[in-house]
Amino acid sequence: MAEAIGFATPDDLGRRVARSRHSDTRKGLLLLAPALVLLFIAFIVPLGYIFRLSIYDPIVPDGLPRVVQALEHWSGSGAPDEETFRALAEDLSDARKANTVGLIANRLNVEYPGLRSTVMRTVRRLGQTPPVDNFTAFFVKADPNWGAQSTWQAINQLRHSVNANYYLAAVDLRRDASGSMELAPEENRIYTTLFVRTFLIAFSVTSFCILLGYPVAYLIATSSKLVASVSIMLVLLPFWTSLLVRTTGWIVLLQSQGVLNDLFVYLGIISDENRVRMIYNLAGTLIAMTHILLPFFILPLYSVMVSISPVYMRAAQSLGAHRFYAFWKVYFPNTLPGLGSGALLVFILAVGYYITPALVGGQSGQMISNLIAFHMQSSLNWGLAAALGVILLAVVLILYGVYNRYSGANRLMN
Amino acid sequence: MNTDNSFVNFHEVQKSYDGSSLVVKSLSLTIAKGEFLTMLGPSGSGKTTSLMMLAGFERPTGGKISVAGRDLTDLPPHRREIGMVFQNYALFPHMTIEENVAFPLVARKIPKPEIASRVCSALERIRMGALAHRRPAQLSGGQQQRVALARALVFEPSLVLMDEPLGALDKQLREHMQMEIKHLHEELGLTVVYVTHDQDEALALSDRVAVFNNGMIEQVGPARAIYEAPETSFVSSFVGENNHLAGIATSVSGSACAIMVGNAQIQCVAVGRLKQGGRVVVSLRPERICLALSDDDFANKVKGIPKEVVYFGDHLRISCRLESGQTLTIKQPNRGGIPEVSVGHPVILGWHATDARALAAEGEASNG
Amino acid sequence: MHSFNVEYAWSMLFRVICGAILMFLIAPIFIIVPLSFNSEPYFTFTSGMLHFRPEAYSIRWYEAFVSDAGWRVAVRNSFFVGGLSTLLATALGTLAALGLNRPLPMRSFILSLLLAPMIVPIVVLAAGTYFVFAKVGLVDSYVGLVLAHATLGLPFVVVTVLATLSNFDQGLVKAALICGAHPTMVFRRVTLPLIAPGVLSGAALAFVTSFDEAVITLFLSPSPEYYTVPRKMWSGLREQISPTILAVATTWIVLSLMLMILVGVLRRQSARATGNR
Repeated sequence: MAEAIGFATPDDLGRRVARSRHSDTRKGLLLLAPALVLLFIAFIVPLGYIFRLSIYDPIVPDGLPRVVQALEHWSGSGAPDEETFRALAEDLSDARKANTVGLIANRLNVEYPGLRSTVMRTVRRLGQTPPVDNFTAFFVKADPNWGAQSTWQAINQLRHSVNANYYLAAVDLRRDASGSMELAPEENRIYTTLFVRTFLIAFSVTSFCILLGYPVAYLIATSSKLVASVSIMLVLLPFWTSLLVRTTGWIVLLQSQGVLNDLFVYLGIISDENRVRMIYNLAGTLIAMTHILLPFFILPLYSVMVSISPVYMRAAQSLGAHRFYAFWKVYFPNTLPGLGSGALLVFILAVGYYITPALVGGQSGQMISNLIAFHMQSSLNWGLAAALGVILLAVVLILYGVYNRYSGANRLMN
Repeated sequence: MNTDNSFVNFHEVQKSYDGSSLVVKSLSLTIAKGEFLTMLGPSGSGKTTSLMMLAGFERPTGGKISVAGRDLTDLPPHRREIGMVFQNYALFPHMTIEENVAFPLVARKIPKPEIASRVCSALERIRMGALAHRRPAQLSGGQQQRVALARALVFEPSLVLMDEPLGALDKQLREHMQMEIKHLHEELGLTVVYVTHDQDEALALSDRVAVFNNGMIEQVGPARAIYEAPETSFVSSFVGENNHLAGIATSVSGSACAIMVGNAQIQCVAVGRLKQGGRVVVSLRPERICLALSDDDFANKVKGIPKEVVYFGDHLRISCRLESGQTLTIKQPNRGGIPEVSVGHPVILGWHATDARALAAEGEASNG
Repeated sequence: MHSFNVEYAWSMLFRVICGAILMFLIAPIFIIVPLSFNSEPYFTFTSGMLHFRPEAYSIRWYEAFVSDAGWRVAVRNSFFVGGLSTLLATALGTLAALGLNRPLPMRSFILSLLLAPMIVPIVVLAAGTYFVFAKVGLVDSYVGLVLAHATLGLPFVVVTVLATLSNFDQGLVKAALICGAHPTMVFRRVTLPLIAPGVLSGAALAFVTSFDEAVITLFLSPSPEYYTVPRKMWSGLREQISPTILAVATTWIVLSLMLMILVGVLRRQSARATGNR
């Protein structure tokens, strides 16, 4: 009787439930598909390309294939054998025909400054009097660099088309003469210094946002309707106003011929010759970034604060707690989730900031993003820029993962 | 049941959400054309899920549902031609009352002039013509309820589903709306499947009541049978108020039996097959117990001591301790000629043998 | 009595501090407005302005803004790209939010992916977009800008529409279906009108995002023909800084203010439509 038509045994019960859920899922994915396609084209592929740029480095293996092969027998000390120099001569004359000498020279120059002119000079010489034998002597005569072990070390490091050289450079690591890793001398540690500065700036901006944002969020959450709605307007207006407009505003206020300095001079606080430098330096970056990110901290914290019932505070006070004690022991712990997620969000956004430091940061206020842009646009060292970018991206994505676990991505703004 | 007249048919319907536990275990139920059937049960008993499967919002995991002989399994809700009233009315907040009621007709691409006249007469029927251009938020709960009803009926469906439609109304309005629904059912010859957890509502409205518990139907039958002849102890305790006295069956002969409760013997109706000497539960409605005078003619008379007397206006509610130590609750209509009751002064409680129903106690096999 | 005074003093101090912080928030915005009417080419108040002499004020920077062909191109580009990318982001974002509103495996992963453009370092994304788009001829093109800007606007639409959907009563969809309406009619006549305020708020945020985007445009639009307002402002601030920028900024503030008020009204409307049943 129990096995009549349509009566499910426990086994196929699960299957049937899964089937009906499957059709629901398909409809959901269909709705998501267009957005995911856009994201793929204009988000995932571009970021993937940056990753590829950072590890894919085929110029040397493509341009100097014979040299790369010959170097496999190289002991690693001194100049390589005659065979390798013959390979170099053949590769370079091929490169000359293929018009890729400049590319190879640039790549080598990035790895070992000075090699560009070495290569260019040698190629010129190769064109004038191509050697038939004694290649080693020819090259060392063309440029003594060819006899140096470090030149060949640089070429040897680039022999794989997929390598981590850019990442090593991005954390100021390099190989010493024996091929083992070492940290660059302290005065040359550009990138680690800049990463540290970037984190310090992001951390300071986050701290300022907590200090300035917490009282305002508390004011909005606990004041009368009029005060609250006026205050929230004053927080929302910057949120909606263009970042460039706000940066312009700070330039107007803070520059040496700006409104604040004029005011200080007028009030006699400072003399006309000693105007305060408040912008185009680290201070400018900190002030403008704090201003721009403050609403991102206040708004989520406010939404947590309004959901805390005033009953708790009243209860604590009725039990004899002093107002400040009640605040510290009852109210404040309840706002910690909002404070934490707001602070994390500000930090995430701050670490990747570009426009504000570029416009008001001067020298001391530059962040890692600015250097990435510099290598992308001016020095054209794309591989290094990409490696720096991937490191920055990884840091941001890890923090974003923490943020999602901690407070849910959909609270990103409200 | 009369299968020739069957209109809605659940055939061994099952529903599971997680693939391991069944929300509806194996539901077989036939509803006749023109019948008012109520699915009654506590929350989580599977009644709403069953209704949602009939409407087409949930797909049965096993079994089949058919209406008028047609299998509904692959028919989406919008093609089922079923009218439905929802718990929170589900009126479209951005449309006027008129637009709400017209919606099913617009969906059916009925010509505009006809829509206008049918909406107009539907609104007249519920006496809401004057409020046609208001929005739902501007109406009271009872008015919204009537609009929801008009919207469900305007396209003249032969089957109407109601999912706790009166749950949000206050008591007085609820009773008024119950009558209104009952009249509509009779006038229009509708088949109604009604879901509620309110047993009074179920009894007042229905031709038949199906009592759900744990994904199964415990008992189906006319309201009177459900109330007066519950077949399981769940039904007897869920529908209406009941006293339960534990005892031992001393003699069973056909439908009559004698039960020892403490050291008093009680004459009862035997429900199902009882074993002589088996443990039983006697269920007894509070309103069927009277404060007996010595010359009253009751098959059962028991002495009890009132522990608490509460005055309700139209009736008194008295808790009495029996000599066996068990407690009986009595609802005594507040009319003349009843003995004086006060806490601590013994009274005689009397009831007819037909009002006491002996069921096999749980864990005791009721039939071999 | 003593404790009352201390508490009063504290609360006054608290208000003063908050007032100062709020000043900090709006000062750089409001300072621009009067200075944009300066009749001298300075970025500070002249003594004439401080004495409210009429001749110290002028609208010459607004005239310069309007008559500058470069600015006109930038404004047109910004509205064109902003409009199209907003349409794209709003359509795709709304559909995605509807999809996310269903039970879905890996829902939270998909959601964080959709929102990721909000937090990814913009320079990295801009450079990657440049390289990829250059390969398919989308540098110095409207299509490239629209695609890139729509990607940045998408998260805002998804978030606001999801928030609206969480207040949306799914019972209304059931009611409309059982009334006999086809699912597309249900979407058009019931779901869409009720989530419209959320969709429009999301669209406003997507528009502002595109309108304020400078970095991707910096990479994708090397030639002035495709400059947008922020791109032109960027050059203005870095190279030849002119008070025309203050006129542009003031106009921009007014636009932001209008959008902000619009969204405020929409939010209130949406709360009224869904919260009051």
